[in-house]
Amino acid sequence: MGKITKETSTVQKAETPLEQDRAKSVPWYGYVSLILAIIFFSGIFANAEGWLKVFDFTALLGQFGALQGPNSAAATFTGSSGIGARDGFLFALSLAPSVMLALGIVEIVTYLQGLRAAEKLLTPLLRPLLGIPGITGLALISSLQSTDAGASMTRELRDNDMITDRERLLFCAFQLSADGIITNYLATGAALFSLMTVPIITPLIVMCVFKVFGTNLMRLYLKRIPEEAINK
Amino acid sequence: MKKSLIDVFVEGARKGLQINFNSIIPNLIMAFVLIQALKITGILAFLGNAFAPIMAVFGLPGEGITVLLSAWLSMGGGVGACASLYAEGILTGTHVSILIPAIFLMGAQAQYMGRCLGTAGVQGKYYAPLLGIAIVNALLAMLVMRFLV
Repeated sequence: MGKITKETSTVQKAETPLEQDRAKSVPWYGYVSLILAIIFFSGIFANAEGWLKVFDFTALLGQFGALQGPNSAAATFTGSSGIGARDGFLFALSLAPSVMLALGIVEIVTYLQGLRAAEKLLTPLLRPLLGIPGITGLALISSLQSTDAGASMTRELRDNDMITDRERLLFCAFQLSADGIITNYLATGAALFSLMTVPIITPLIVMCVFKVFGTNLMRLYLKRIPEEAINK
Repeated sequence: MKKSLIDVFVEGARKGLQINFNSIIPNLIMAFVLIQALKITGILAFLGNAFAPIMAVFGLPGEGITVLLSAWLSMGGGVGACASLYAEGILTGTHVSILIPAIFLMGAQAQYMGRCLGTAGVQGKYYAPLLGIAIVNALLAMLVMRFLV
């Protein structure tokens, strides 16, 4: 009975901007930009020779020039053995190029509808993987970029009866852990990229796997609670 | 009105610069000062000893707990604590790799309670399981990373 009501309401809401947006198909360059972005951040071409290196994040990021230290040790402008707030400031400042490069690329991918392509590919997987309907696709992709966008779209979906209370909880379990993952990881996480011993994309994949895992833990937790009792 | 890809890139880069100035620099200063204060007072060494057995499960030194605690408050804080401990020679590249997914999986929960759960309209009684799941995700991710580094 609840399902029928929900489907009817989906049809009624078909003219909202959210629905219109979903109706548009994704152009070929959306998929191409998505694939290129994955290659770019994966580091597949980190050790490539010649022009292929242009598809590598760290190759384009380059390096700071070296300065001659007092003991003829080479250092960047951040120096070596700094401590406290001053060291933190220079270190944080040295991150600006990687954050700017990463977000410049993300902006291009978004503009070329690469994230819409990801949404399209993910939508049929949402019900089996996360227990939430395909209609959450846009909100889900947005939540990967912005915590606030994801959360407010989730609220809208619930207010318009497009998702149930249970689905909202599952969706929130997905969002809350590593929220805004793309922006946060590529911007803030950039501080650690040069220190890590694994490719940039490895932690990203691990985090995505655990976002799905955590959602299913919530699914198990809610299993014993009947639908009508969820919002009591 | 179609924009050129150059304009789009510059727009994104500008956002990156804003994030760097408004979020990363203040958060990292906070974390570096915190670690420095913990070091001067000897609390860092104490935490290192106290949490050594637990953190050893994840292949980390005891001081790694400060990264997780700072991360819970803000992702930038967790990242900063991690970078600062690396600079101190307490954490290695392997340790950083193990910690990084955890920093984000349980990151900024203190803020996201409001910004995610509050905005989405989740009922208060579900905050505990949702926050708990994020921490479980983080702990398990560290175990997984141990085998990937």
